Amino acid sequence: MSELQLSEVRKSYGGLEVIKGVDLDIKSGEFVVFVGPSGCGKSTLLRMIAGLEEITSGDLTIDDVRMNDVDPSKRGIAMVFQSYALYPHMTVRENMGFALRFAGVAKTEIEKRVNEAAHILELGALLDRKPKQLSGGQRQRVAIGRAIVRHPKIFLFDEPLSNLDAELRVHMRIEIARLHKQLATTIVYVTHDQVEAMTLADKIVVMRAGVVEQVGSPLDLYDDPANLFVAGFIGSPKMNFLKGVIEVDHDRAYARLPDHGDAKIPVSPQAAAGTAVTIGIRPEHFNEAGPAALDLTVDMLEHLGGETFAYARHGNGELIVVETKNGRGLRAGDHLTARFDPVSALVFDGDGKRLR
Amino acid sequence: MNGFRRFAAMAATYGFLGLMAFLSVFPFIWMVLGATNSSIDIIKGKLLPGAAFATNVGNFFTLVNVPLVFWNSAKIAILATVLTLAVSSLAGYGFEMFRSRRRERVYRAMLLTLMIPFAALMIPLFIMMGKAGLINTHLAVVLPSIGSAFVIFYFRQSTKAFPSELRDAAKVDGLKEWQIFLFIYVPVMRSTYAAAFVIVFMTAWNNYLWPLIVLQTNETKTITLVVSSLASAYYPDYGVVMVGTILATLPTLAVFFFMQRQFVQGMLGSVK
Repeated sequence: MSELQLSEVRKSYGGLEVIKGVDLDIKSGEFVVFVGPSGCGKSTLLRMIAGLEEITSGDLTIDDVRMNDVDPSKRGIAMVFQSYALYPHMTVRENMGFALRFAGVAKTEIEKRVNEAAHILELGALLDRKPKQLSGGQRQRVAIGRAIVRHPKIFLFDEPLSNLDAELRVHMRIEIARLHKQLATTIVYVTHDQVEAMTLADKIVVMRAGVVEQVGSPLDLYDDPANLFVAGFIGSPKMNFLKGVIEVDHDRAYARLPDHGDAKIPVSPQAAAGTAVTIGIRPEHFNEAGPAALDLTVDMLEHLGGETFAYARHGNGELIVVETKNGRGLRAGDHLTARFDPVSALVFDGDGKRLR
Repeated sequence: MNGFRRFAAMAATYGFLGLMAFLSVFPFIWMVLGATNSSIDIIKGKLLPGAAFATNVGNFFTLVNVPLVFWNSAKIAILATVLTLAVSSLAGYGFEMFRSRRRERVYRAMLLTLMIPFAALMIPLFIMMGKAGLINTHLAVVLPSIGSAFVIFYFRQSTKAFPSELRDAAKVDGLKEWQIFLFIYVPVMRSTYAAAFVIVFMTAWNNYLWPLIVLQTNETKTITLVVSSLASAYYPDYGVVMVGTILATLPTLAVFFFMQRQFVQGMLGSVK
């Protein structure tokens, strides 16, 4: 198990800066997920940790040793790639033992470690097959096995489940979570899938355009996002954003929804009256008993069995997603009164920063 | 009416294809039939099997030191093929894998050399070989061919399909760049190598003009040169020439026959 620190880490390609000063502490045994939209720099940051991309400036340390100029194979990391990157001309056994053979590990030790990993990942029967004879899920397990045999200090996963179908993805997600418990090793994992991030991570790092927007536990990010981007990115369906305005009444500041009745969301007293704000309400925070209400017309419905997502519009045309347990009887065109508790709503200023 | 049109179109297509096939195959049929006939019969245009095959073969073996010319041809073709594949695949890998500002300029300049006719290079090459003391050696035949712009182009294009993640995985596994090339790239791209082998071997085996210039004694000449010299004799024996042509064709036919599967795979791309 190992600790990893990034201090003011930057990466530029010519004049284009893609990682803009990342500071991050990853504790020993932590499962950290980098999440963000395509092109946000999460894979580049992972490749910088792996040593596959040079660090333009800043420091990367693993167990307090500066690793910027250390060869990838000497950093104590192992990496699982999106396309698995198995050597197609080698058997599963050879793939898994390849790095050890190059490191000069004794044959008996290689055999022992490969068998151990094969046992953990239930690959025993596949050891003499070539990658093309395996299914996607099996290939993914071999790729993980190849990482395990090296006994790395840190596992790096680069979107490892992206090439799998939905069912297999759920299965492998559980496998990876089990593996983390079993090996208790530090894992840095990149994904654009926020469900993966929420279910696997001890700590999520949300990135946008080369900048870390927020770091925290999955539920912290969900309940207490620092800005509009994180609020919108974490959660599915995403949070509803409505236009609001600050009003001050007897030294107490409120965000009000001018187009949606008289709901008042309390905010910090420093907020100036008349300031335009964005009010965020998660679809599941609508219920039948809240003190505030939005009058909507149902546009479209998604029945998932246990719950229903109603895509409804207000008079001004804003589309609002409402999660309801009792939506089976709803039809497009129906009137829907979506009630909510103003305390559960979040308020963001004009720059997208959270007003508390 | 529609049926007739379809039949006419099909008949025209098959007629055209048949004609093209005949034009392609006829020289080979003529070569085989010619080997069984006497020179006089060939000149008269006889296109039926004759009875002179044994005589022609006997005469060929009398006139030509067959083991020596085959050895010369094989040595040149194998050496040229191995060196061309080694140098050109390394260059193709390098052009594709390593980024640099001037990479594309150098690459384009290299491709432009394809437009220079060999006739324009013969004299400078001959002078270079003369200064290096290589005239009348097999090395003089091999050296100019090993940095082939076409084969480098072919390897670079094929390398585009080589997954960059394999290279990354190998780096994480502790391999140096030359080890990645040798232990990962070469085995993964073996179909590309097979296709390039067939093309380069056939070109080297059939090479005529340059060996004609630099190989000046009978001890160093290749089968192609010897058969050509038989055909340009004062009284050429065309039956013997046809036997020589058949023998000269056999190795390339064998290489293509045994490697056709890999050749087709290589042309389609090694990595799928």
